[in-house]
Amino acid sequence: MALNHNLRLALSNCNRILSRKSNIFETPFLFGCSEVINIRQKKVWIRPPRVKYPLWFLQKERAEYIENLTRNNKAFIEEVVHDQCGAPAVKSGIETYNTPLKIEPLQPLEITTSSKRTGLIGKIIGQYPLWMKNGEKCRTTLVQVVDNHIIKYIPPEEFKPNRKPYRGEPKRKLGCLLVGAESGDPSLYTKEYCGLFKNSGVPPKKKLCRFIITPDAMLPPGTPLTAAHFRPREFLDVRGLTVDRGFQGVMKRWGFKGMPATHGVTKSHRRGGCIASGAGKARVYPGKKMPGHMGNRWRIAKGTEVLRINTTEPMMPQRCWLNQSSSLVVRAPL
Amino acid sequence: MLITKNVKSLLSRTPSALKLCSDLYHTTPCLHHIKLLTRLRVVDNCEIGRQAMAEGKPPRVIAIYNQTHIGTIGDKVLVAIKGEKKKGIIVGVKKHQKPHIPKTDTNNVVLIDDSGTPLGTRIHVPIPSMLRTILKEKTLSKGADYTKLLAIATTFI
Amino acid sequence: MLSCISRVHRSTRLNSLTILRNLSKNSPLQFENAENGEKKLSIPQENRFMYQEFLPDPELKFRNQVREKLERSDMIKRRSVIDIPSFFVGSILSVTSADKHDPNKTRKFVGICIQKRYCGLRHEFVLRNVVDNLGIEIAYDMYDPTIHNITVLRLEKRLDDDLLYLRDALPQYSTFPFDMEPEYLLDGAPVPINDIKVKLKPRPWVGRWERKGYKGIDDVDQHITEKMKGQKKKLEEPWEKYDLMKEYRRTIPEEEQEEIFSEVFSELHQLSLSNKKLKKSRVYVKPKKTG
Repeated sequence: MALNHNLRLALSNCNRILSRKSNIFETPFLFGCSEVINIRQKKVWIRPPRVKYPLWFLQKERAEYIENLTRNNKAFIEEVVHDQCGAPAVKSGIETYNTPLKIEPLQPLEITTSSKRTGLIGKIIGQYPLWMKNGEKCRTTLVQVVDNHIIKYIPPEEFKPNRKPYRGEPKRKLGCLLVGAESGDPSLYTKEYCGLFKNSGVPPKKKLCRFIITPDAMLPPGTPLTAAHFRPREFLDVRGLTVDRGFQGVMKRWGFKGMPATHGVTKSHRRGGCIASGAGKARVYPGKKMPGHMGNRWRIAKGTEVLRINTTEPMMPQRCWLNQSSSLVVRAPL
Repeated sequence: MLITKNVKSLLSRTPSALKLCSDLYHTTPCLHHIKLLTRLRVVDNCEIGRQAMAEGKPPRVIAIYNQTHIGTIGDKVLVAIKGEKKKGIIVGVKKHQKPHIPKTDTNNVVLIDDSGTPLGTRIHVPIPSMLRTILKEKTLSKGADYTKLLAIATTFI
Repeated sequence: MLSCISRVHRSTRLNSLTILRNLSKNSPLQFENAENGEKKLSIPQENRFMYQEFLPDPELKFRNQVREKLERSDMIKRRSVIDIPSFFVGSILSVTSADKHDPNKTRKFVGICIQKRYCGLRHEFVLRNVVDNLGIEIAYDMYDPTIHNITVLRLEKRLDDDLLYLRDALPQYSTFPFDMEPEYLLDGAPVPINDIKVKLKPRPWVGRWERKGYKGIDDVDQHITEKMKGQKKKLEEPWEKYDLMKEYRRTIPEEEQEEIFSEVFSELHQLSLSNKKLKKSRVYVKPKKTG
């Protein structure tokens, strides 16, 4: 597969060169591969590979092996890490580093109703009862926001430059903001991954996330983000992992009714029943609801309401149904 | 059968059998849901209800007029009592309740007719005060006036 | 492998750092006491019973230190608004709460506390009373802002952790008048333990009381059949009290309790003092109103 992929990459490169000089297109290729011959016969345009990984899609954790470091060397490494990242600290129960900020004081943003702001990375830490003004009890989910920093801004022109520009192409309006949470030990990550954080002046983050924004909501790299980014009574979209339920039957996974317990039914009380007809296409349509793995997927809880914000302990109780102990992505759908 | 025997023996001994009924046995099974064929306790002083309770044949639920078919406080039910069909309103449930909502030891019912008028003139036991709001809301949506039930209640909890 | 070890080492050091920080946080409290000289503010042992809900759920799945801290601060905020007295299962309370259905918009209920459950902000207690020969139970959230007033009418303990069997006991054991006068204990007097044995009604019961080993029931065996006695014997686990690990999992360790109470105790103490002053003034005002 790897070879095939390389080949296709190479092909696409070739094609780009060739297409500029169309008269050379008929010249035979150097590769003696059947795939190539096919392409040549059909004379189709080979698209560039669909997946183009973003620049932050890198090998994160380096391989761990026995380094046989002496005590002095270990101390030296720790010293270097402390020089770079600041002293290790526990912020609201999470181990990070106290990194001094290297940014200038911010100018207030001019945000309109049409602008899209960045979101935050949080963590669900439990359920919390709250009482509303009318005396109703409300079950809320606590989201903890710890040590969020802006890592990088990618302007609209550079964001998603996948294709060749063409005439009449719509102007790209949305840029991208990289946000990281929870500083980690740089000696545990790869060189490439650490390189992402060079300009922002923060140590490499354990969680990294992308938010699409309008350029007027841009914040410079290194800016700390807190829970005060949002206000109570705001409605957010929360993206997170759902509860992993494993391989489940059709009744639990899709809410099918099953079959009766008696009346001659044998061995199929919780089955789905017929999955397709033989009279029509005589096949199972794609997307048919069947047993399988349930949960552990990224889902978006839309329109969750922020009820309270605690800035000393960065918390946001809100109505939400996502899995506990998974990292969340919270953003305001402006 | 057990219930009947108990009550018969009681009747022979004490005249105020109804009062002691709740002391000696439970009228509902351990599931505590009010659903089809649940035995209820009539708590008003209507003739038919009093007789049925004294005979040891408390009314049975044969229809619950709500979506879930499990009765709660303020729901209208159809009961079979002494060979007749009567409508009633649930005024106390044995099921586990949320905070602030009273839970009683028996499933209580007050018999009414089709226009919402109670058959009796007095309710012996305390009824939950949330019935005030519930019955008012129900009266608005339908023709019958259920709030007459509140007028014959002695105590609210 | 080595790097792993180093990571573990670092984490332990961080923990010790946090402990140190906590200790230093508490130090001003100790200093103040030292300056006062006379009053020595030591954290009493009965706190774990009096302020039972300040201890978190021992289940590790539900633990989060940050959330617990937040809950505790919210509980103290609520306690500064109304006086929440400490009481036990078996105490008789009267609770006045807001009721939007009532014309007076308040509701008063008097009853015996038969159960206390859940930890932290969601702590709940259940009151039971028999009114007009009908047993009534109402559960209350302790930190519900719709509660106006909680008064302890009689402070006492029972032999059991919960009194759910009162549902099947004779009604006289859970009948209390709504106009009951509060009984005051002397300051510093121990909470009396009521060792009353309750008589149950004949079966059927709501629960299988004979299996749970309640001490407050008078002669369970007279109600149950031979078969049930056999089952009861089969399900008995007399060795359980020697299971240290089970006990450890069921409770919060003492060191952790100390840490929690040292965080909240000074505030709780001040609140209780101010409430006592209020109570005294209230007692003084009472005869004026009647006269």
